[in-house]
Amino acid sequence: MSDYIAPLQDIRFALNELAGLARIAELPGCEEATPEMVDAILDEAAKISAGVLAPINKSGDAEGCKLEPGFHVRTPAGCKEAYRQFIEGGWNGLNFPQEFGGQGLPKLVATPVMEMAMAANLGLSLCSLLTGGAIEALLRYGTDAQKQTYLPNMIAGTWSGTMNLTEPQAGSDLSLIRSRAQPEGEHHRIYGQKIFITHGEHDMVDNIIHLVLARTPDAPEGVKGISLFVVPKFLVNADGSLGRRNDVRCVSLEHKLGIHTSPTAVLAYGDEEGAIGYLVGAENRGLEYMFVMMNEARFAVGLQGVAIADRAYQHAVAYAKERIQGKDLANPAGKSVSIIHHPDIRRMLMSMRALTESTRAVAYVTGAAIDRAHGEPDPAAREAARAFADFMIPIHKGWATEAGVEVANLGIQVHGGMGFVEETGAAQYLRDARITTIYEGTTGIQANDLIGRKTAREGGKTAKAIIAQMQGLLEQLAAAPGGDMQAIRSALAEAVAAFESCVDWIVANFRSDTLAVHAGAVPFLKLAGIVCGGWQMARAALIAQQQLAAGGADAAFCSAKIATTRFYADTFLAQAAGLRHTVMCTGAGAMALTEQQF
Amino acid sequence: MTVLVIAEHDGALLKSATLNTISAAAKLGGDIHVLVAGAGCGAAAAAAAQVAGVAKVLLADAAHYQDQGAENLAALVLAQAGAYTHLLLPATSFGKNIAPRVAAKLDVAQISDIVSVEAADTFVRPIYAGNALATVKSSDGVKVITVRSTAFEAAGQGGSAPVEAIAAGPDLGLSRLVGRELTKSARPELAAAKIVVSGGRGMGSAENYSKFLDPIADKLNAALGASRAAVDAGYAPNDYQVGQTGKIVAPQLYLAIGISGAIQHLAGMKDAKVIVAINKDPDAPIFQVADYGLIGDLFQLVPQLTAELG
Amino acid sequence: MRVLVAVKRVVDYNVKVRVKADGTGVDLANVKMSMNPFDEIACEEAVRLKEAGVATEVVAVSCGVTACQETLRSAMALGADRGILVESEAELQPLAVAKLLQAVVNKEAPQLVLLGKQAIDDDSNQVGQMLASLMGWPQATFASKVVIAGDKASVTREIDGGLETLELKLPAVVTSDLRLNEPRYAALPSIMKAKKKPLAVIKPSDLGVDVSPRLSTLKVAEPPKRSAGVRVPDVKQLVDKLRNEAKVLP
Repeated sequence: MSDYIAPLQDIRFALNELAGLARIAELPGCEEATPEMVDAILDEAAKISAGVLAPINKSGDAEGCKLEPGFHVRTPAGCKEAYRQFIEGGWNGLNFPQEFGGQGLPKLVATPVMEMAMAANLGLSLCSLLTGGAIEALLRYGTDAQKQTYLPNMIAGTWSGTMNLTEPQAGSDLSLIRSRAQPEGEHHRIYGQKIFITHGEHDMVDNIIHLVLARTPDAPEGVKGISLFVVPKFLVNADGSLGRRNDVRCVSLEHKLGIHTSPTAVLAYGDEEGAIGYLVGAENRGLEYMFVMMNEARFAVGLQGVAIADRAYQHAVAYAKERIQGKDLANPAGKSVSIIHHPDIRRMLMSMRALTESTRAVAYVTGAAIDRAHGEPDPAAREAARAFADFMIPIHKGWATEAGVEVANLGIQVHGGMGFVEETGAAQYLRDARITTIYEGTTGIQANDLIGRKTAREGGKTAKAIIAQMQGLLEQLAAAPGGDMQAIRSALAEAVAAFESCVDWIVANFRSDTLAVHAGAVPFLKLAGIVCGGWQMARAALIAQQQLAAGGADAAFCSAKIATTRFYADTFLAQAAGLRHTVMCTGAGAMALTEQQF
Repeated sequence: MTVLVIAEHDGALLKSATLNTISAAAKLGGDIHVLVAGAGCGAAAAAAAQVAGVAKVLLADAAHYQDQGAENLAALVLAQAGAYTHLLLPATSFGKNIAPRVAAKLDVAQISDIVSVEAADTFVRPIYAGNALATVKSSDGVKVITVRSTAFEAAGQGGSAPVEAIAAGPDLGLSRLVGRELTKSARPELAAAKIVVSGGRGMGSAENYSKFLDPIADKLNAALGASRAAVDAGYAPNDYQVGQTGKIVAPQLYLAIGISGAIQHLAGMKDAKVIVAINKDPDAPIFQVADYGLIGDLFQLVPQLTAELG
Repeated sequence: MRVLVAVKRVVDYNVKVRVKADGTGVDLANVKMSMNPFDEIACEEAVRLKEAGVATEVVAVSCGVTACQETLRSAMALGADRGILVESEAELQPLAVAKLLQAVVNKEAPQLVLLGKQAIDDDSNQVGQMLASLMGWPQATFASKVVIAGDKASVTREIDGGLETLELKLPAVVTSDLRLNEPRYAALPSIMKAKKKPLAVIKPSDLGVDVSPRLSTLKVAEPPKRSAGVRVPDVKQLVDKLRNEAKVLP
């Protein structure tokens, strides 16, 4: 029943107070991102998300995409029009270079715009997300001619993009890719089957630009023999007009648990004469390019966790205020009350709220770091930002998506039996959220990245730098008045200590006891997420308290921020000590059985 | 203190909102005069003379009042205004069109849509789509007021006021009526009907709207209304819209059929004496204001109800 | 032809306003503000007139606090060419706004003034008519269709009971109703361009207008609440209740 209303107040708070939009606007090339400009952009993005994308979220879920004769994919009613409105508004090109028709705004400004679109309609928003990934790949590794040929239409959104990695035998392990690329003059002929291709075929755009991983004839085995190709659905003539259909077709659509508005295609390349593809960058370096792209994509998927959590939270709050059931425990003789009066419903709603706000804060702070990693004029500052962003991305992706699933799950619980019934819409959020912990690297893959490349390999350097920042905040918290702030400080202090000892343990045991360390990887990622979320929430609470003291601020918002942080401290930061134990000890049991005993 | 009510009429009869406006004028105390301006509108003036409480009727009969254009009527009212402490018009598309023009020329505030008279200079009016009621006091010498008709009873019959012809004002020639398309209906006027049958998006189509609602409206001698969603979807004409931006109604009985009850709609009908809601969605907000709620498929329930009223 | 559009900054229509406990008004602290939806429709109409080649310039005007600049930027993001803010911290009632607009109209000499039929905060429905009156211009309120041909405007109005079409001599004032058009979403590039469009700020005193209020608000109260009644199981019981309990049916 409830419509999506963009949480602009919390978004602005996270942008301005936590992520430091003002600093980003000082970076070279980001000058347009002034607070007034960003305000106006957020207002309009909120409007179009709520007014255009959100209304077809439920109907699109129910209808789904259909593969029709002629390898044609029909998206649900209204998607084409809504997508058109979105791209005609120029939203697709928000953070891409002006030279190719984008607006050249920083990632940090794109972040809330993406969040709102995702919350409004996760399935539909995927089209732009994948196009964005393909745009980034071509921007970085494409030739000038490739950029000129593809980027203006992709940035405008009239062409969309895809990422073709997975094959039936090559999922998380891409070294098993078998698709072939046969050189033929200026181009290659591509043969093979790709699966799980998001928006691999659909009717919302004029052309689809596939980025495809394949092996050239003499390529080495494994990950070092994979090249990246651009394969347009329709070949592009020299004058930019669309030429003949390429030999790539959608042979099947997956039947999925969620994101029904987004067609997930099985694409067959080269069933006839071979699909014409053009090499992007250098031969055999495709996977390396894809990993650069994947960092951006992982950031975006983490944001999906924030978005779906917010949508599920809004839905649950509306229901809890409406649904009359049972007496108020404080007044058993009175009339029946709405369920939001009941303590367990409160606990669930506060959990949902705290996870939504904390994952958002971490996301935006990470987004700002990505901008600074590109734009800080001082190389040392740039490098520090890069290290921070690299460390945070697996945490953000893994933790925010797991939180998104948890929040959507709680959302159903708040609805009771009505949540299990599709009609209320609460179930869709859980179904849609479920993929986010899987694609662009499962939570397990994120955790392995976090303990390996991001922690052990550098001896915990970035982790320690972050812990030092957290300790600085603890000192500030110690000086802040009030019982809430002291409770927050003490919970955060214990959680930071738990986190630090886990970092030390991972660094010390990564090689010597690698199975045990990897068994504890996901619990460690969860611990890292909870601690980073608590760090940002505590910063938020401190700022809210200062704003309250200064006067003029929205007292209801500020006091809610402090209360939500307090709840977060007692509910989530309090889990840190237990997680520390799990990180260090879970390996013993996890690896104890023989394969036959399962 | 003398009050001038500017009558809305169709040449022969007074519109019911004029009678409510006269009641509001009566609350002020003092004499009530009614201005009837039109072309060949003697019958309407005679009707005004018979309304209880009216002391005098002013009749301005001239061809250029035929169309009831705001520019010419405002000029006429202005010429009379000097003799009055209050100028009252119904808060209808007729009154809202004229009153501000008069007020601006008199250099006084206009008080819109009053729902209560607290004193000769103090009135209550809804703001924020009826989510708040403001009590306002005017410091101006002349009060120009529009009256929400649903907030005042219609004045009764029994008067015998003299009708005095007055000179017409100038024809300003600023605008010309090209045509009117009035919704033809034998049903009572929506804003004044005792019973209103209103359909929402749940009707599903224009065909269903008339197929299911016409028979019950006929049976009850009710006016037909619609939610904004139903009007926007083309199920019912624009002037059927009940709500903050449409008609404000306060009938004895309001039947909301397939209407979810957006705040905007509730603002237009929440003063009905009895509200009945028929909707398949048990969580529809309309049930929060309905005196009687019936949950179920309207396509089954409405014909049953029509039959039951037999 | 120049078209002037008057836009008001009001509480966003999604916000559920709360009456202050002390009865002095509604609580507007930290509440989201937006352009009055009817004014947005007026602005869209003006921009369409420009896109159709009928209007040559669209000038947006707002009267009120400094933050009304945002509202003017929104109007410019929709397509208005420039903005004028008549800046005043004082409460501006409809008569004062009409006089301010009159002064601006005298300077700018538009052939058409478009504005919303009413603002969703005070629900007055006055400014357009007052401005037309002060200028001695014709008016068409509650417009659902506007056609400009030469020095005439043909305007279809939503009136009680149906529609009527007026032909007005220009210059004229037209106030928009809901169904005049559906305003576009501002495009991102337009939002960014809007920041660079000219915006002039003037004071009521520059225009020689006295804006002192004529109405004082003594009290603002919540309307009486209607509470949910009963659910009836079937049509038979409903009719029985309507006849014998509510006594609204014979």
